[in-house]
Amino acid sequence: MSDQLSYYIDRPSPVHRLNPLTKLTAAFMLIVLAFFGPGYWLPSLLFAVVLVPLSFWAKVGTEFLRMVVRFLLPVIGFMFVMQMFFYPGGETPIFQLWFLTATMEGVRFAYQLVTRILILISAFILVFLTTQPTTMMSDLAQRGLPGALPFVITSTLQILPQMRQKANTIIDAQRSRGLETEGGVRQRVGALLPLVGPLVFGSIVDVEERTIAIEARAFTSPNKKTSLYEIRDPRYESIARWLMLAIMIVTVGSRIWRL
Amino acid sequence: MAVIEIRDLTYSYPLTEQPALKHLNLQVEKGEFVAIVGPNGAGKSTLCYTIAGFVPHFFRGELQGTVRVAGKDTQESSLNQWVLNVGLVFQNPFNQISGAKVTVYEELAFGLENLGVPREEMVPRLEEVMQLTDIEDLADRSPYALSGGQQQRVALASILVMQPQVLVLDEPTSQLDPIGTREVFQVIKNMSASGMTVVMAEHKVEWVAAFADRVVALSEGETLLMGTPGEVLTDPELPKHGVNVSRYTRVARAATAQGLWPQERPLPVTLDEALEGFSRESA
Repeated sequence: MSDQLSYYIDRPSPVHRLNPLTKLTAAFMLIVLAFFGPGYWLPSLLFAVVLVPLSFWAKVGTEFLRMVVRFLLPVIGFMFVMQMFFYPGGETPIFQLWFLTATMEGVRFAYQLVTRILILISAFILVFLTTQPTTMMSDLAQRGLPGALPFVITSTLQILPQMRQKANTIIDAQRSRGLETEGGVRQRVGALLPLVGPLVFGSIVDVEERTIAIEARAFTSPNKKTSLYEIRDPRYESIARWLMLAIMIVTVGSRIWRL
Repeated sequence: MAVIEIRDLTYSYPLTEQPALKHLNLQVEKGEFVAIVGPNGAGKSTLCYTIAGFVPHFFRGELQGTVRVAGKDTQESSLNQWVLNVGLVFQNPFNQISGAKVTVYEELAFGLENLGVPREEMVPRLEEVMQLTDIEDLADRSPYALSGGQQQRVALASILVMQPQVLVLDEPTSQLDPIGTREVFQVIKNMSASGMTVVMAEHKVEWVAAFADRVVALSEGETLLMGTPGEVLTDPELPKHGVNVSRYTRVARAATAQGLWPQERPLPVTLDEALEGFSRESA
């Protein structure tokens, strides 16, 4: 069992060494370009020419592609089926299925939608594969992101595997008392209740103790927080971030201008 | 000079009729080790939370009387100032891990980061506290992948590193196995020996007898007894109120009835005291 639920893969690469905020900015820029940028093929191009090479440069290419497929396959399937048959502006029929007609416009629209979502998801996957979540959060906290937010995100990531462990304990306990957890759908759904109850209520009780523990560690101290480790942030990265921000503004701006 | 001064404290949790603590008085001197014993629901945890400032700041409710720690009044302070003076460690080691850090070393620094302690100052303080709590070899491990006793020492260390004046422990070993219990008590003992003021709620009376300067027995929110461990823990009133009594005390009490324990000798709480008494008798 893994110690923590993070997708981070520790490998020595230039991408890993980038400041977390730079990576986040780059991800946002790609997303803005994919959604507001010009051209039907731009998102596909961004994926093939920017994200995939970047992932191999970061030495996590295989993992990256595997995760993208795993996350996106269900979305792609769903989008294509829905849009193909139900796209409102569909005029050019491709084939007929029972009473439904698949249209060319629907497929075109679905492809655009899917490639945009591809950028949205894969950009973040690459960020999380190459960035230790705690590093990202302490970097953001140091930049003045309101104290509780980074904490909520990192601790959730860390606590989820613990919850899973707890869930397994509860399942074992209920099973040893004769609860059937295997079998048909109905049986499995029925087995969910005796699991969810103790898990959720137990976690709510834990929240109070956790709050006390965090409070005892001066979490709400009005002092400006410091960080144990210095997070690298060279000058050129900061310049790069401003450039990327400018690209985002221009992209969105030109879109608004035209409309 | 008393570090902790509690005068006529009565406190009720919100939405409750019965006060959890009634007309309580307690003074703890600097460097003193005070243990709180009593059955479940006697108010041990509430008293710990009060000294640590979580009553009334976190739990709200109604507080009467005065609670002063290090010269400050709890009603006139805020919790985030209070925790600088008083450190709290409680039962469940797992729930005391912040979850925001990947290694034990970083976990220990969490409090210092929140306080805004500069990096140069952090490192020596971390080294010192790890040595004190004997967790140097755990520095690079995940705080979640530790045994209960190790986790509790990490919890203890992460409070101690903030250098509080008073350490409050609410049954710190109740969820630990005997080995974990011994490890944690050893650290607490060292802290006390180095001059730290300690208040500890604890069921394990044999440990209490070995460590504490003074014992307070609570029952239903009131002070039942207060005195040295020898006086309080062997008092015949204790079992009537459901307070744990050491097995050695029980044996010696039974032996007294049989004439096997010296009449004038106080009843023992620890194994050593019992052995000494019995060997004296048989000699």
